[in-house]
Amino acid sequence: MALLEVRGIDVFYGEVQALWGVSFTVERGEIVTLIGSNGAGKTTTIKTVSGILTPASGTIEFDGQRIDRLPAHKVVGYGIAQIPEGRRLWPEMSVQENLELGAYAGEARGKRNETLKRVYELFPRLYERRGQAAGTMSGGEQQMCAIGRGLMSLPKLLMLDEPSLGLSPILVAEMFNIVREINSNGVTVLLVEQNVRHALELASRAYVLETGRLVLSGAAHELLNNPQVQSAYLGF
Amino acid sequence: MTVVTPPAGRAATRSRFKLGREALMSIGGALLVGLVLAIIGLVLPPTNYIVFTLGFLVFLFTAQALAWNLIGGYGGQTSFGHATFFGIGAYATALLQQNAGFPPVIALLVGGVLAALFSQLWGYPLFRLRGFYFAIATIGIGEVTRLIVLNPLRNLTGGASGFTIDAAAGSGKLEQYLTGLGLAIGAFLISYWVRNSKLGLGLFALNMDSEAAETLGVDTTRLKAAALAISAFIVGLTGGIYARAYLYISPESVFAFPVSIAMVLMVVIGGIGTLLGPILGALIYVVIQDYLGAAQLTIGARTLQFRDVQLGLYGLLLALIILFEPAGLVGLFRRMGRRFRRGRGAGGDATAQSAVLNQQSEVE
Repeated sequence: MALLEVRGIDVFYGEVQALWGVSFTVERGEIVTLIGSNGAGKTTTIKTVSGILTPASGTIEFDGQRIDRLPAHKVVGYGIAQIPEGRRLWPEMSVQENLELGAYAGEARGKRNETLKRVYELFPRLYERRGQAAGTMSGGEQQMCAIGRGLMSLPKLLMLDEPSLGLSPILVAEMFNIVREINSNGVTVLLVEQNVRHALELASRAYVLETGRLVLSGAAHELLNNPQVQSAYLGF
Repeated sequence: MTVVTPPAGRAATRSRFKLGREALMSIGGALLVGLVLAIIGLVLPPTNYIVFTLGFLVFLFTAQALAWNLIGGYGGQTSFGHATFFGIGAYATALLQQNAGFPPVIALLVGGVLAALFSQLWGYPLFRLRGFYFAIATIGIGEVTRLIVLNPLRNLTGGASGFTIDAAAGSGKLEQYLTGLGLAIGAFLISYWVRNSKLGLGLFALNMDSEAAETLGVDTTRLKAAALAISAFIVGLTGGIYARAYLYISPESVFAFPVSIAMVLMVVIGGIGTLLGPILGALIYVVIQDYLGAAQLTIGARTLQFRDVQLGLYGLLLALIILFEPAGLVGLFRRMGRRFRRGRGAGGDATAQSAVLNQQSEVE
């Protein structure tokens, strides 16, 4: 049984339909990527899984349980962490407070000191800056803080929305290495990216979204060599 | 009116080891100040105007401002409807004591609880609204409540002619002073506790980014409702104490819009979202009202009364504060402190920079 199973979701913003019957699965331990251009519905998909948006029809199952009708603050408790686009840290709070907020609810709260230690091991830079206001750090450090905050909820599935946004090429590479490392520690990853090459090199499988519909899916290395993908997203 | 500002007074750092010292200073300081003020009240003759009239008002307004700050400052939910809690507390205490023979303490507490219950009645539906829409809806709640008390409930409340409490059931000067002081200190301790609790962390988080807070497991509606209930309970108690002190209440005095505005004003003047700001704001508000309350300006044949134009003047003041120093007086003091330090330590930019950050994190 897949860890995340999304079946035929239709999602609207008011009257405007943003997703049409999107279905995909993420198996335990995988890195799956959703790729597509601006406005394709990638962020909408992630926000629907995390409960910020509710699908008009279709179902979402996580670990065998329906989560598509739950509010966002309950979905976290099932083991889904969302690292939002643009990081969305609390700039005036310290790094440590931001991280602690990641373990706000449920079982994660009781274990937050151990988890915090593990996050600091993964990101020594955050430990150095733990007392600093999060908004005063560089973009890369803020992205690490956002990922760390997501890990604080002890997720089974980590959903990253454009983690490479606004980072220099070196930092992008570093970011993807970190995602790989997190995944090797047993956390399943759903990655949304416009940086298609990096995403496809990292992921095992990929889905391509176009104007709210899934148009293509398959093994990541196959999509990397797919002429359609190459011309549309890789600039060949 | 954009009173919806982030809590600028939020300490940037709150590491564990510092908490011990900070807690000692805040709690110890509050108790010490309370003790000194209590002794002053016990020693001075109750005819002293400054202590027993102005001092008492400062305590009541301090409690109100701190209470409003819980939801309006920490949680960033600007309420213009807090007069409803004041009015419910005042009327419940007066009616229960006078008509049902409740002992004063019970009547006061029931008044506070009723205010808290009433807050949940409108809190849950209104918290679905964001920003301006929430603020505007609270104005509506305040006015509707006032009109209901004024007319449909007039047999109970006395309607427009108000409700008079027997002098025998009222409180003496010293009792007023001490209960007011006790409530102000209590409101401060509650504010301090909320600020450092899980509730406070969640409130600060949802204030600055509600959606991000939701995705981290913060049940934003429940937290806002909890903060509003605590806030309403305290304001309800101030209403009961007010009724017992002034012996006459009417919808126009306890449910009126300016009662709500006063709470917003005090907090914004002092420093929204901070611990000390509401206290400073209350002090200044009472002093201004006392000195300017009867002031008038005569130009030719026209006389301008302060009380007629005060809302306009306060509105202007609010706008200026929000434009130039959103953290109010606390922000102003902080800025002055920073300048002072920079002046003293003139030199290395990097150290000055980190000094600024530390400064921000240490001082409330």
